[in-house]
Amino acid sequence: MRRNAAEVALSLGVLALGLGVAGVTATLPAEGGYSGIGPNFIPGVVGAGIIVLGLWLSIEAFTGGWRGALPDDARERGEHAFCAAGFGWVSAGLFAHMALIGWAGFVIAGTILFGCIARGFGSTRSARDLAFGLMLSVGVFLFFVKLLNVNLPAGWLAPLLGGAGI
Amino acid sequence: MEALDALMAGFGVALKPINLLWGFVGVTLGTFIGVLPGVGPALTVAMLLPLTAKLDPTGALIMFAGIYYGAMFGGSTTTILLNTPGESASIATALEGNRMAKRGRAGPALATAAIGSFVAGSIATVLLTLLAPLVVDLALKFGPAEYFSLMVFAFITVSAVLGSSTVRGLTSLFIGLFFGLIGIDSQTGQPRFAFGVAELLDGVDVVVLAVGLFAVGEALYVAAYQSRLSETIEKLKGSIMMSKEDWQRSWPAWLRATAIGFPFGTIPAGGAEIPTFLSYTVEKKLSKHPEEFGHGAIEGVAGPEAANNASATGVLVPLLTLGIPTSATAAILLGAFQNYGLQPGPQLFQAQADLVWGLIASLYVGNVILLILNLPLIGIWVKVLQIPKDILYAGILVFATLGAYSLHQSWVDLLILYVFGLLGFAMRRWDIPVGPAVIGLILGPLAETQFRRALSISQGDATVFFTQPISAGFLAVTAALVIVPWIVRRSRRR
Repeated sequence: MRRNAAEVALSLGVLALGLGVAGVTATLPAEGGYSGIGPNFIPGVVGAGIIVLGLWLSIEAFTGGWRGALPDDARERGEHAFCAAGFGWVSAGLFAHMALIGWAGFVIAGTILFGCIARGFGSTRSARDLAFGLMLSVGVFLFFVKLLNVNLPAGWLAPLLGGAGI
Repeated sequence: MEALDALMAGFGVALKPINLLWGFVGVTLGTFIGVLPGVGPALTVAMLLPLTAKLDPTGALIMFAGIYYGAMFGGSTTTILLNTPGESASIATALEGNRMAKRGRAGPALATAAIGSFVAGSIATVLLTLLAPLVVDLALKFGPAEYFSLMVFAFITVSAVLGSSTVRGLTSLFIGLFFGLIGIDSQTGQPRFAFGVAELLDGVDVVVLAVGLFAVGEALYVAAYQSRLSETIEKLKGSIMMSKEDWQRSWPAWLRATAIGFPFGTIPAGGAEIPTFLSYTVEKKLSKHPEEFGHGAIEGVAGPEAANNASATGVLVPLLTLGIPTSATAAILLGAFQNYGLQPGPQLFQAQADLVWGLIASLYVGNVILLILNLPLIGIWVKVLQIPKDILYAGILVFATLGAYSLHQSWVDLLILYVFGLLGFAMRRWDIPVGPAVIGLILGPLAETQFRRALSISQGDATVFFTQPISAGFLAVTAALVIVPWIVRRSRRR
């Protein structure tokens, strides 16, 4: 019998989410005016639904695996095996961007993000990627700030970008 | 002929130079982003939503109509030349279109897709024009109980009936419904599931969810499982002109596909997947050259592409007249309406007739723009396709993060975006459909409001959903959709 650790973990994760929703729902007020139902009623229904689905998924996971799931072997899906470097660089880029954007500004955060994502997709030419990222970020920054009046942080480059943005 | 007058007034709005310009911008950007491999119509619309932040509602929605159609067309170009269907509705096109391209007939394949989309889109827009006022008249009789039951029907069809697994479809829907609960309860002002985080009090933004699931999730997935694969782009050789035989074989397919695609779009049946496959099967059955199917038969491109566009237009019927989105893309469009404080539905047809009919008129205009813009510019779209994957995804994520960040100028939204990205990665890897989550997020709060209104009117009597005939009818059909396939499966097993 096939038992897949990831499917078991995901099923239990859905179940845990349902229990969490139900737990928080219990703290919500119940008074409901004319309708007789308050802001806790639908959360209760949704929480109960997620619990039932979590149980259903768990039963499938423990009795032969999720029905009609994709093959576990990446080659059968026409893909290569999980590439941790790819996943890691994309994640690292997004976290670096998160940390930098409010402080160093949109252009610098965007350039770093661009470089990390390209690296994650297997590029080995980081200097070229950063140059592309810089050009794109400056272009997007000026387009949104000057033309569309959308506020974006200029950060460290504020003197160069002519005080545009916030 | 009231509708005709309203439509003429709508053309007056849509043909204003500034609105025409927004239409042009929308079609061009929609095609440009839609052509990018891995970027489907839903993501295209979500990524371009921030662009319209400072426009007036009419201009913005007209631009969106252009983006919607442009994204559809862009997606088919990618499918034909690259054989990576960005979405399930393009799989049928990939079957024949990519084979045609491999045999050096990419030009006629793209031409029949473009002209077929134009024909189907235009006929479907005429049908929309005729049908919308009828549905509006009917919808004006609906009370909260009817709306709620109709929404339950939509929830079940998009999640439980279609797709490879009922339980995974429902799980996606309920996760979306849960996200929809986050924020301040619109009826009582009670914060729910926000845990004191200011960014969550406003609720989960549909753009952040869609961009997180489709763009960040896709980037994580492709980087992890596909970035080290190589792929071939078919060259655009020879003329793009269709021969006389191509025309003769294409036009009946376009018309049949329109007849198949439009009705499927109007009912909540999960978008364009079924009609495109149905059209493919019909063309294969009726073709005088069935032996060509699988090796690049032009009917196999003409039909599914036309069906795709007809159903994309059909989707606008329930969206505009009832406020019910039946595809992920439509859910994001509904989010765009809500950004302007507009709620699509019968009332909008009365209160904002100019805007609604301007939008419908701009669909006609958008179709024409698409046709005259795209065939001559096909060379540019092919160049766009050749952008290497590393640069492409890096660029997509610079835009994707911009949309999330510009909501509150806060890094917390970027963290939420990443969490949705992880969710999107897991859903893609373990085959959990994404559409129901997006629809649940946007439609869930509306359903809750109608539910509570219905019970307010009935003073808490829950039987109201079953005693009102229209509401009971919707619920009965919903129950039948769930129970009948289950019984059929059980009896087959014995």
